[in-house]
Amino acid sequence: MTDYFLSSLVLLSISAVLIVLTSRFQKISGGIFLFSLGTGCVLGLISAVSVLVHRVPIDYRLDFRMPIGEFYVGVDLLSAFFLLTIVMLSLFAGIYGYGYLKDDEKKNLSVHYALYLVLLISLMLVVTAKNAVLFLVAWETMAISSYFLITFDDEKEAVRKAGYLYLIATHTGTFCLWVMFLLMGQQAGSMNFDQMTLASFPLPLAGVLFILGIIGFGVKAGFIPFHIWLPHAHPAAPSHVSAVLSGVMIKMGIYGLMRLILIVKNFPEWCAMVLLMIGMISGVGGVLYALGQHEIKKLLAYHSIENIGIITLGLGIGLWGQIDHNEAVALIGYAGALLHVFNHAIFKGLLFLSAGSVIRSTHTGEIDHLGGLLKKLPWAGHLFLIGSLSICGLPLFNGFISEWLVFRALFDGVFHFETNALVFSSLAIISLALIGGLATACFAKAFGAIFLGNSRSIDNTHLEENSSLMRAPMLVLGGLCLWVGFFPSTMVSFALGAASTIASLKISPMAEEAIISPLLTVVWVLMILVTIITVLVLFKRIAMKFLPIEKAPTWGCGYSMPTNRMQYTASSFAEPILRIFRNVLGFNVTGNKPQGYFPKEEAISSHVIDASEDFIFRPIFQFIKSLSAKLKIIQFGVTQLYLLYIFIFLLILLIWKMV
Amino acid sequence: MGIQILLHIGIVMILSPLLLGIIGKTKAFFAGRWGPPLLQPYYDIGKLFQKGNVYSITTTWIFQAAPIVCLAVVLVSSFFIPLGGLKAPIQFWGDIILFAYLYGLARFLMMIAALDTGSSFEGMGASREAAFSCLAEVVLFLDFIILALLSKKFVLSEIIEGNILSSWPLFGPVLLLVGASYFLVLLVENARIPIDDPAIHLELTMIHEVMALDHSGWDLAYIYYGGAIKLFVLGGLFVNILIPYHSLSSVMQTVMFSGGMIMLALTIGIVESCMARLRLNRIPLLLISAFVLALVGGIVVLVKGV
Repeated sequence: MTDYFLSSLVLLSISAVLIVLTSRFQKISGGIFLFSLGTGCVLGLISAVSVLVHRVPIDYRLDFRMPIGEFYVGVDLLSAFFLLTIVMLSLFAGIYGYGYLKDDEKKNLSVHYALYLVLLISLMLVVTAKNAVLFLVAWETMAISSYFLITFDDEKEAVRKAGYLYLIATHTGTFCLWVMFLLMGQQAGSMNFDQMTLASFPLPLAGVLFILGIIGFGVKAGFIPFHIWLPHAHPAAPSHVSAVLSGVMIKMGIYGLMRLILIVKNFPEWCAMVLLMIGMISGVGGVLYALGQHEIKKLLAYHSIENIGIITLGLGIGLWGQIDHNEAVALIGYAGALLHVFNHAIFKGLLFLSAGSVIRSTHTGEIDHLGGLLKKLPWAGHLFLIGSLSICGLPLFNGFISEWLVFRALFDGVFHFETNALVFSSLAIISLALIGGLATACFAKAFGAIFLGNSRSIDNTHLEENSSLMRAPMLVLGGLCLWVGFFPSTMVSFALGAASTIASLKISPMAEEAIISPLLTVVWVLMILVTIITVLVLFKRIAMKFLPIEKAPTWGCGYSMPTNRMQYTASSFAEPILRIFRNVLGFNVTGNKPQGYFPKEEAISSHVIDASEDFIFRPIFQFIKSLSAKLKIIQFGVTQLYLLYIFIFLLILLIWKMV
Repeated sequence: MGIQILLHIGIVMILSPLLLGIIGKTKAFFAGRWGPPLLQPYYDIGKLFQKGNVYSITTTWIFQAAPIVCLAVVLVSSFFIPLGGLKAPIQFWGDIILFAYLYGLARFLMMIAALDTGSSFEGMGASREAAFSCLAEVVLFLDFIILALLSKKFVLSEIIEGNILSSWPLFGPVLLLVGASYFLVLLVENARIPIDDPAIHLELTMIHEVMALDHSGWDLAYIYYGGAIKLFVLGGLFVNILIPYHSLSSVMQTVMFSGGMIMLALTIGIVESCMARLRLNRIPLLLISAFVLALVGGIVVLVKGV
């Protein structure tokens, strides 16, 4: 099965080059893009699924020595699970992207297509690299290709700024990763992951590696407070790129942490504590910030932080189980985290793509300008609804299955742990419940304001549905949400396989059965729910044959001249919740109330301040800026002078060595 | 199991409006009136089932789907709790989460159905419902954690059967605290005084009722019926937690359970007669006090050890 994976990599690389070469002929390069994306992803899918089904990892070493590493890739169960997620989403987002962009005549799309393939290749390499240097090279390729994809609309200043912020953030993270991998390599005497796995790491070193990993991978994953790049970069990118960034690229941070756990194995207890804390803060913080957003893609970006929080809760409780030698908690926690990685990729991809359809049709993403789109864009609307129900973790949809697993691991933690872990698991359960409630509120707000009621400021009459090339991928993703929601056993068993790899455990079919069987009961109950719904619908249908049905305008509670602008807006919908949490959020409302009997025009506006951006990172960046301003004295921009600097530096090194 | 489920559905559907009737009678008694007959809620629902529907031209299918899903959800949620001598038909490891999240599904649909009408009053109701229910959910889960800790079980019906019984002598005060905080959640979830007044008709101050402002006929009947059943199911859970009757014979269990439910209806009626509705900005404080009550219970469990 290695052949499938490698041929997929080779095919994608060759096509990326071909697309650039044929960039004069957009039709041909577009065709190559679609063909290679389809074939490459299907090949990748086959190799991932076959590893997950047979539970036999595959290895491939190329006799190609880089300066300090080698080309060593392998698909173990953990890699396969992430590979599956990557190819699933990238395939559909790519097809959608082709439909989204193909009428854009101003831009050179071939470069965009080629970069998309490069991002896909680098993502596949990141999860399959078995050598630290290869991993970091792939990691860096991923960062740079995604930078160029984000800055597609580089004529806008906000996009350029977002891209720049992303570039700085990601390199700060990469720096920590270099240090981490060098420390690990030094301890193990090799940069290959399998040798590192054999080495033993003393607890203090494991703690240091963990901190470096949390910062390095956390920047990519978007842990609060390292998330500041995320709400800027994701909305700036074209929608299909946002889908890939949010759906899979930020998950590479989670993959990295899982790989770190797999390699180091033995962590001090506070590491699990830190992970749970990060999970709670990112989860609750992410969804609260999302409630305060007025722009649809920014709202979705903050929800990615929330979901990363949920994933981290699963990861944290899993790690705690592993440290405590409680196999069930470890397996269920990791499996919940992994399945949520997959599910989030699917439903967040779906949400970004349908938000993209809305933006493409209406040319705005401002929630408070929109309304009533369900009638005009039924495809995007209904698929957005499926995505919303899934992301809120509501039963019938896939989000519920993974949240159920995380909940279960946390409750098992409550039963089996000592006081410390018990308190943390209880707090995590409460946070997860709060996250669920707030997410429901947030998506009721987003879906309700965009798709229901009447349009607030935009003229809806001439809106048209998007092309079928954009609708089909969304339909498949929506179908996947329901598939996992109703037939969870396949994906849960895949996730359990990958979880057993992380925890370095063997999982017996019996144990697997014990974890999956309650979920099958859940499905059974949901079937009853669907049956009851059908019966109730039938009753009503029959009754409606004999009873009168009238159409009338919405009741205005006695007010006879309501306008569409008087509808409840998304901002007013979120206000009570934001007011409850105003002290945590920095929620402020500016403006005046109308005064007197004949009031003049007044305006009111509300904002949520992202504290880590304004109070942590802005001062740090300011400090660095002022520091580098002082260094300006030695900068003259003359090349000869820089050569002189290098010469002097070499001289100093030489003298230092001689002394 | 099929028969058990049908039996559960039957009992819940037949008896739940009675609870509202008892509450109404109690309130009337405190006001010095005769009040409507005990069976008035049945007449109300029956009347609505005979009426046609008026649909706003703004609405979509979501507006019609929400009442149906709400009723279906509350019916399904009744499967997880024992009703007197009747065992819960569905029990599995982790059903608590499904129980809580099913209500989430119903709530989500009700909120978007309210936004579907494009009426600003209904949007206001949905927004308030969203704010208060997410706090109530947190309290509910904290109560569940404490009960699960006491029983070492993760199955709703097993938590409330048998294990509660053995916890009463040792952890009586904890159960009382949990009961008190759960009672507040019950009031919030069912939109009763002091959180929300089902009887008032001033849109600006309403929460739950205002979301159903545009519903009529069968849809409204489904919503009222769903509300009655929700009170019955959540009330049934409350009675199961507070009255440790589970070791008695099944006839006695049924008697105790019915007695408990009547007591609950009387209590709600008395609370509604003696209290005014709280101002909206006070409701989060009430929920926070419910949270603190449960938290104190949790700390006692932790300190004392299970």
